[in-house]
Amino acid sequence: MKPFDVIVIGGGLAGLMAAAVAADNGQRVALLTYGSGSLPLASGAIDFLNAKAPDVAIKNLPAHHPYKKIGLKACDAAAKFFVDIAAKADLPYNGRLSAQIPIVTAVGTLKYSALVPESMDASNLVNKKKIFVVEIKGLKDFYAAMIVDNLKKIFPDKTFEVAKLDLNLLGGRDITCMDAAQIISVNEQILADGLKTLDVGDDDAIIIPPIFGLEGNSSRAAIKSQLRAEILETTCLPPSPTGIRLQRAFIKYLQSSGVRIFENSKVVRGVVDGKKVTGVVVENSVREKVFPARKVILATGGFYSGGITMRDFDQPREPIFDLPVFFPTGAENWSNEQLFSDEPQGFSMTGIFTDESLRPIDESGEILFENLHVVGANLGGSDFVFERSAGGVAISSAYKGATS
Amino acid sequence: MSDKTQAIFTGDRCLSCTSCMANCPVMAAIKDYRGPKLVGPAHGRMHFSQEDIEATLEFCSNCKSCDRACPSGVAVSTLNMLQRAEYYKTHPHTQAEDMIAHGERAGKMVRMMPFGATFANIGMEFGKTLGIFSKLGLAGERDMPAYASTPFKDLYSRIKQTAGGKKIVMFTGCFINDNEPQVGEAFVKVMNANGYEVLIDKGFNCCGSPLVVTGYLDEAKQHADNNADRILEWKKKGIPVVTPCTSCSLMLKEEYHELFAEHKFHEAAENVYDAFEFLEILQERGEFNDNVKPISQKLLYHVPCHLKCQAIGLPAANILEEFGANVQTADAGCCGISGNYGFRKDKYDISMKIGAKLFERVKRKDFDKVISDCGTCRMQIHHGSGIKPCHPIEILAAAYQ
Ligand SMILES: Cc1cc2nc3c(=O)[nH]c(=O)nc-3n(C[C@H](O)[C@H](O)[C@H](O)COP(=O)(O)OP(=O)(O)OC[C@H]3O[C@@H](n4cnc5c(N)ncnc54)[C@H](O)[C@@H]3O)c2cc1C
Ligand code: SF4
Ligand code: SF4
Repeated sequence: MKPFDVIVIGGGLAGLMAAAVAADNGQRVALLTYGSGSLPLASGAIDFLNAKAPDVAIKNLPAHHPYKKIGLKACDAAAKFFVDIAAKADLPYNGRLSAQIPIVTAVGTLKYSALVPESMDASNLVNKKKIFVVEIKGLKDFYAAMIVDNLKKIFPDKTFEVAKLDLNLLGGRDITCMDAAQIISVNEQILADGLKTLDVGDDDAIIIPPIFGLEGNSSRAAIKSQLRAEILETTCLPPSPTGIRLQRAFIKYLQSSGVRIFENSKVVRGVVDGKKVTGVVVENSVREKVFPARKVILATGGFYSGGITMRDFDQPREPIFDLPVFFPTGAENWSNEQLFSDEPQGFSMTGIFTDESLRPIDESGEILFENLHVVGANLGGSDFVFERSAGGVAISSAYKGATS
Repeated sequence: MSDKTQAIFTGDRCLSCTSCMANCPVMAAIKDYRGPKLVGPAHGRMHFSQEDIEATLEFCSNCKSCDRACPSGVAVSTLNMLQRAEYYKTHPHTQAEDMIAHGERAGKMVRMMPFGATFANIGMEFGKTLGIFSKLGLAGERDMPAYASTPFKDLYSRIKQTAGGKKIVMFTGCFINDNEPQVGEAFVKVMNANGYEVLIDKGFNCCGSPLVVTGYLDEAKQHADNNADRILEWKKKGIPVVTPCTSCSLMLKEEYHELFAEHKFHEAAENVYDAFEFLEILQERGEFNDNVKPISQKLLYHVPCHLKCQAIGLPAANILEEFGANVQTADAGCCGISGNYGFRKDKYDISMKIGAKLFERVKRKDFDKVISDCGTCRMQIHHGSGIKPCHPIEILAAAYQ
């Protein structure tokens, strides 16, 4: 096998983005992944930081934070590149780093993110007169009445109406948003006709579960063109159509740029020559296969995805290159008792420390491999969940790693 | 080696993340199937009993897209197949199921009669026209795969092999033996060109893949035992077993061990290679004969699901590209046929719906030839698009002159 210019390990958000950036720079890229990553579970909204102006907040972070290594310039470029890729796959996104956009969650609260799918952008909700929340017969886990109750707390002056549509989804298994989206992608008209029965005016909005198809924007566009009111999708329980659309948009882009995607390919080791990585080793059921590379991007995620593992307490490991993993010492710093609290969790700060090109470093700050770049959730030094930066760190580190 | 072996122990690793559901082509095609997460790990974990059978299990095609999506190493599809076997312990098979599971037996019967292949093919033509297949529960829309006038195992003895010295044993697979012997010929030519004499072991059985998916697990186990024993014999002699059929190689390398959890299957698996996997290993060792005419074709490559599972990269694409071919992957998902799944009357529509994206891609005709390593994928592409694909080894064989 001829060496690839770049091998990306991991097909989550960070890996997909890194592969896209590298391919866009004209490099011959392979993406190796084991499992499909967490995008099908996610909303597709990209959080940079939970702050009114994420770019300002990034400037004020401590030096060990991944954003400080990445730099604001790369963050900005990453956001633009991301929106551009999505648009090329007919999946419009709105947003920038200087402000946040609200989206409506499955329970009727508002959540703010830097980059959001256009179909979820709830910025204009404040200007609407009446808001219809549409419940679909037979669709699991979507409760319009609850959404209305919660939205009323945010918008006490507006009129709300719960509307029920029967799109003939019953028969067969319990229908999830993914199933409904699949059905609607083949027959948009059933949803368009259903929505047309509502008595909506130009100044009203319709909120629906995320069921505008599983690819691109064509189902939404076809339905939108028949209605005057704005229609918004909420988030939902996984599998999540809005996350699936984003994943498919990336995969489509990678395929059209000639990136080779190898599924079911678990990387177990690197092939190294001094401070250079020359390839990676994939293990299959009976033997090993070497994929040679000039540069490797490690996008294997955190604890959840196996990018960082821990057999013994206090000894987290990075299993492929055996990179040193930073972790807060002492059990008292490890976690706070309340799992779902508003304090950061020590364990989620765990991860790999890097230089400004995102190459892994040891305790003394020495670079361990010259052509290995660490991107995404396996970076140490921040609690992505607490500070709501997972998506932003994933795409901006991927951009930096792929361009360094 | 891999922690994905021995399916039965993998169900408990399920995190209910739903990634498998997002990737199951059957779920996308129909509303009836409850999907990999619920049918495989969830149901399989709690009940491996005959009384409690998941009613929609029959819809699983064993395409293994779920296994590839799973981040936790759950052998979802094999859990489904084990449960299916449990079901058939107390439920009779239909005549159609018996037929599609036992292609090897039918092939042998045909070969025992004079002009057997001709008559069988005429018979199948009549069967189709008269609607007999449809009455039996087979997909009347399809042509049954036509028998070649001479099966590969007979044709083989007439081939003058040029190589001496190094040897491999070819596991022919039923489809290549009975229906596409030209793929076998191409295989021999390529191996010869690389200094390998090709041996045939007439003691091998069908790999058992069609038996497993149709719930004949005990029979499949007999095939597995026989094949593994023979592979181990060859292993002792230092002779590798190589197959140009992707579903056979997956079965021999991985599924025997997943299904039956005996160490000998793993030991046998170590001596089995997919054809282009083997060639790429030769290339890495600097032993590949690259005295090849430049291949100037533009090839559209449908990568079979069962190849994607094997984690061996894309060796056919790599090798053909090295000699000048322009290889583009079709990237259109599962072809829908999944072995004998698409031959069932009640699964035909699902199978065609799954394949629709691939057929559209192929019909764009922006290439010289479609290639795919899997025989049933090739059949499905031909049926759905009218364009006949070939095995990548046929392209390589033609380039060795
Ligand atoms: C339920 C959920 C909701 C989320 N919601 C949001 C949100 O609203 N906003 C937001 O900004 N972010 C959100 N995220 C986070 C975001 O989607 C990504 O999970 C995060 O950015 C981390 O991405 P990653 O690519 O680094 O890691 P992952 O997505 O975890 O991907 C890592 C990949 O590497 C693969 N891998 C691991 N080890 C190996 C190996 N040895 N060989 C080959 N492959 C390997 C894994 O299988 C996986 O595919 C959410 C995540 C989840 C799970
Ligand atoms: S093997 Fe294929 S059809 Fe069966 S559950 Fe898995 S993805 Fe679905
Ligand atoms: S992908 Fe694996 S872990 Fe996730 S629900 Fe399916 S079987 Fe369970």
